[in-house]
Amino acid sequence: MKLGSYEVKLEKNLKVTSLGAAMISILAILIALGIVSIIFIEAGINPFSGYKEIFKFAFTTSYGFPLTVNSSIFILLCTFAFIVPMQAGLWNIGMAGQLYAGALGAFAVAYAFGAKASQDVILSPGIVIPLMVLGAILSGAMVGAIPGFLKGRFNTNEIVVTMMINSIAFWVVAFMIKEGGPFMGGGGEGEGYKIPKSIYAPQISGIPFTILIAAVLAVLLYFLFTKTKIGYQIKTFGFSPTAAKYAGISPFVIPLLVFIIGGMIAGFAGYHYFAAVPRVGKITMNYGDYGDLSFYGIICGLISQENPLAAIPIAFLFGGLINGGRNVQGKLNIGFGIDYALLGVLMITLVFFQFFYRYKIVWKKIGKEN
Amino acid sequence: MPFQRDEQVSKPLQKTIKHGDTILEARGITKRYPGLIANDHIDFDIKAGEIHAILGENGAGKTTLMKILFGLVQPDEGEIFVYGEKVKFKSPLDAIQLGIGMVHQNRKLIPAHSVIENIILGHPKAGKILDIKGSTLAITELCDRYGFKIDLKAKVWQLSEGEKQIVEILKALYRGAKILILDEPTSALAPPETKKLLASIKIMTGENLGLVPFITHKLPIVLTVSNRVTVLRRGKVTARLATSQATESSLAREMVGRDVIFMLDRMESTKGKPILEVEHLSANNDKGLLACNNISFSVHEGEILGIAGVSGNGQQTLAEVLAGIRKSLAGKVTLDGADLITSSSLDRWKKGMGYIPSERVTVGSIGDYSIIDNVMMNYFFDDEFSKWGILDSRKIRKLAEEIIAEYAVAVPGPDTLVKSLSGGNLQKVILARVLSRKPHLIIANLPTQGLDVGAAEFVQKKLLEARKDRAGILLISEDLDEVLSLSDRVAPMYEGEFMDIIPIEQVKREEIGLMMAGMKHKVAES
Repeated sequence: MKLGSYEVKLEKNLKVTSLGAAMISILAILIALGIVSIIFIEAGINPFSGYKEIFKFAFTTSYGFPLTVNSSIFILLCTFAFIVPMQAGLWNIGMAGQLYAGALGAFAVAYAFGAKASQDVILSPGIVIPLMVLGAILSGAMVGAIPGFLKGRFNTNEIVVTMMINSIAFWVVAFMIKEGGPFMGGGGEGEGYKIPKSIYAPQISGIPFTILIAAVLAVLLYFLFTKTKIGYQIKTFGFSPTAAKYAGISPFVIPLLVFIIGGMIAGFAGYHYFAAVPRVGKITMNYGDYGDLSFYGIICGLISQENPLAAIPIAFLFGGLINGGRNVQGKLNIGFGIDYALLGVLMITLVFFQFFYRYKIVWKKIGKEN
Repeated sequence: MPFQRDEQVSKPLQKTIKHGDTILEARGITKRYPGLIANDHIDFDIKAGEIHAILGENGAGKTTLMKILFGLVQPDEGEIFVYGEKVKFKSPLDAIQLGIGMVHQNRKLIPAHSVIENIILGHPKAGKILDIKGSTLAITELCDRYGFKIDLKAKVWQLSEGEKQIVEILKALYRGAKILILDEPTSALAPPETKKLLASIKIMTGENLGLVPFITHKLPIVLTVSNRVTVLRRGKVTARLATSQATESSLAREMVGRDVIFMLDRMESTKGKPILEVEHLSANNDKGLLACNNISFSVHEGEILGIAGVSGNGQQTLAEVLAGIRKSLAGKVTLDGADLITSSSLDRWKKGMGYIPSERVTVGSIGDYSIIDNVMMNYFFDDEFSKWGILDSRKIRKLAEEIIAEYAVAVPGPDTLVKSLSGGNLQKVILARVLSRKPHLIIANLPTQGLDVGAAEFVQKKLLEARKDRAGILLISEDLDEVLSLSDRVAPMYEGEFMDIIPIEQVKREEIGLMMAGMKHKVAES
C-alpha cells in the first residue's frame, strides 16, 4: 500500500514468544479498561470506583467469586468445544445447540429415574450423576456428529450447518420445558423441572466437581495436540487437507471425530451449567442467554491461539467481567449492560493487539528524488 | 511526478530502433536481503533483435534480477537505462509503459475466461465498454505476424501449457512490449510445442524486439536459440559469452561451479518379479473428464518405468489413483500380488508404497510444520514410532536429524519450519522421508521439476540407489532427458493412454517425442 511518498507494508513478526503474547494481552486488557472508563465517566461514575466494584465483587466476595468460577468453567468448556474442531481447521459455531442437547440429555436421564416428581425424591447420586453426565456427553456428541458427518461426507459448510442446528436445538428445548412439555417445571413459568436435592452435584464452597473435569480436560487436550498420533492427524488436516490426504489421513474421519469431541465437551458444558451449578439445578427460562454466552468460547479460543492452557486465564477474566459487570450495574444504577460493553471492547482490543504483536507495520520512504 | 514519467514514455517510442541498438542496460545492480546478496553488481544489456539468455541455478539470483528489470523489486544499488535514458521503476506499471513485458512461469491467467478476454484484461485500450471485435482484429494480426496459432474464443482452462504461454506472450505484445522477459519459457512444453515457440521467437527478433529468457536447465534450448548467454552463480555474473562459443558442458560448469556428470551411472539391474500390476485402469480428473483410459502395465523389482509426457495428459491422475488419493472408474491394481483397489492410501503406505507428489508445497509438505513434523507425515502410522497412540518424539527427531545429515539438507536444525526451505532442500526432505521407509514401490511424480541442476542430479542419484536396492519405481517426468537417462522402460503418455511401452535399448528419441504428441508407434514407423 502507498501513502504519499511512503510505502506501508505488513510483515509477519517472526519472534513470537508466549511471554510476549501474555504481556501484550495484559496491555490489551488495560487499554480496554481505559476505553470503558469513558463510558463510566459519561454515566457520571468514577471509573476507579466502578472497576473496584467489578473486580471486588467478581474475585474477592464469597458470593461473587463462585459465580465467576462457574461462568468461567462454562466459557472454558465452550472454548474447548471450539478449539478441537478449530485444530482441524473447522469452525464449530454450534456450541449453543450442542450444550442445549447436553442439558436435555442430562435432564432426560434424571427424568427416567423419576426425578421430575419432586425435589425430595431420593436417588443414588453415585449412579444417577455419572449417568446424567454420560447422557449430556452423548447427546452433545450426537448433535455435534451431524455437521462433522456432513462435512466429511459431502463437504458441506460446517458454519452454516452448526448455526442451523443451534436454532433447531433452541426450539427443541423450548418444546421440552415450556407449555406442557415433558420437562416442564411445576410452577408453569416456562422453565424446566428442578432436579432433586439428592442428586445435586458434589461441590466445594459453591464450586461443583465439574471444575476438576475442566482442568483435566485442559491438560488432556494440550497433551492430545502436542504428543499423540490422533492429535497430529487432526493438526495436519487443519493445516492442509490436501497434504493430510496425501499422508493417508482420512478426510471423512477427522471432521467427524473433531465435531464429536467438540459436541461432547459442549454437552458437558450444558450439564455443568444447568445441572451442576448450585442454585440453578434446572433448565432456566433464559437458557438462550447461555447459548449466547457460549460464543465467548470462540473469542477465547481465538485469543488463546487454540491453546487449551492459555485459554484458562482468558476464560477466568471473561467470567469475572460478566458477573462483576452485572453486579455493578445494579449497584451503581447504570442504565445499560456494562458487562457486554466491557466484553465487547475487550474483545476488540485483544484481537487488535494480538494482530499487531504478530505482524508489524513497516514504513519505507520511497522515491524521494522524483 | 506523473508528468515526468509521461515524458519518459513518449521519447523512446518516437525513436527509431535499429537492429543491434542497445535497448536496455543495467549497471551494477545490487540487491541485498537479510543474510544474502541476491544480486551482486550485475551488469547486463539487451540489444534490439537479440535473445540474451540468463542461466543460473535456483537461488543464483535470476528471479531477483528479473523482478528488478520488471520493476517488481527495487535494487539497492545500480542503474537501469532503457533506450539510453536512465529510469527508475517504482512498480511494474512503469516498466510496462516503457515497453517491457514479462511472461510468468506460473501463468497468471483466469482459467474461466476466454483467450481474448484474458489478453485485454486490464489493458488501457480496453476501456469501460469492451471492444471485443476491434481487439480480436488487432490480436489476430499479431498472431499472423508471429506465427501463433490459437483460438481466441477458447477458454483458458481448455488450453495446453504451450498455448497458455502463447497467451501470455500475446498479452505482453498487445500491450506494446518491445522487450520481453520470459521466465522458464519452455519448462512445461512438449518438444513440438517448444519448436513452434522457438520459431515464433525467431520472428520476433527479426522485428527488433529484445528477448530475455531466464532458464534453469534445458541447456540445449539456450544453445539453439540465444545469441548471447549470461550465467549467474550466487548473485554474480560468472560468464558472459556469445552462444556460438559455448557448449552445454561449459555452461553447466559455469552454473554450478563444478563439472556436472550428465551421464548418470545407471548400473545394470536384472528385472525381478512384478511389484505393481495395473490392468485396464480408467479414472476421471477433477473436471470429471476421462484422464486415464484403459491403462495396463507392470513395474518390476529393480526397474524404473518412466512415463514421458507433456503435463495434462493424465499422469497426475494416474499417480493419484495409484497412491490411493483418487478413485478409479474401472480396472485392477495389485501391489506384491495383493489387490489394492479397495485399500485406502494409508493402507498403501503401510503395504510398502511410497508416493513423491509433484506439488511439493501444497501436498507433499506443510510449510508451518518443522522438518520433524513433516517427516512425521509418512511415519505417524508406523508402530515403531508410537506407543498407545502417543508419538515417540525422540525417535522421530533422531530420524529427522539423520535425514538432514545424509541428504545434506541446508538447514540450521530439525526444528526449522519447512516454509523457509528452498525448493531443492524441500524436495530432499520429501524424498528422504519417502525413501527412508524402504518402499517396494516408489511413485515419483515430477521429482526434479523446478530444481536446479545440482539438486536434480542428487534426486536422480537417489532414485537410482533405490532401484539398486530392488525397489520398483514409476517415474513420471516432463523432462524427456530425465526419463531417457533413468528409465529401464519408457511409456509415452498422451491423452490418458500409454502409446507404447518400450525397453530403453530400443528407444529412439524422436519417436518418443512424436508419441508424446499423440502419434502411435505404428504410425511413426510407417
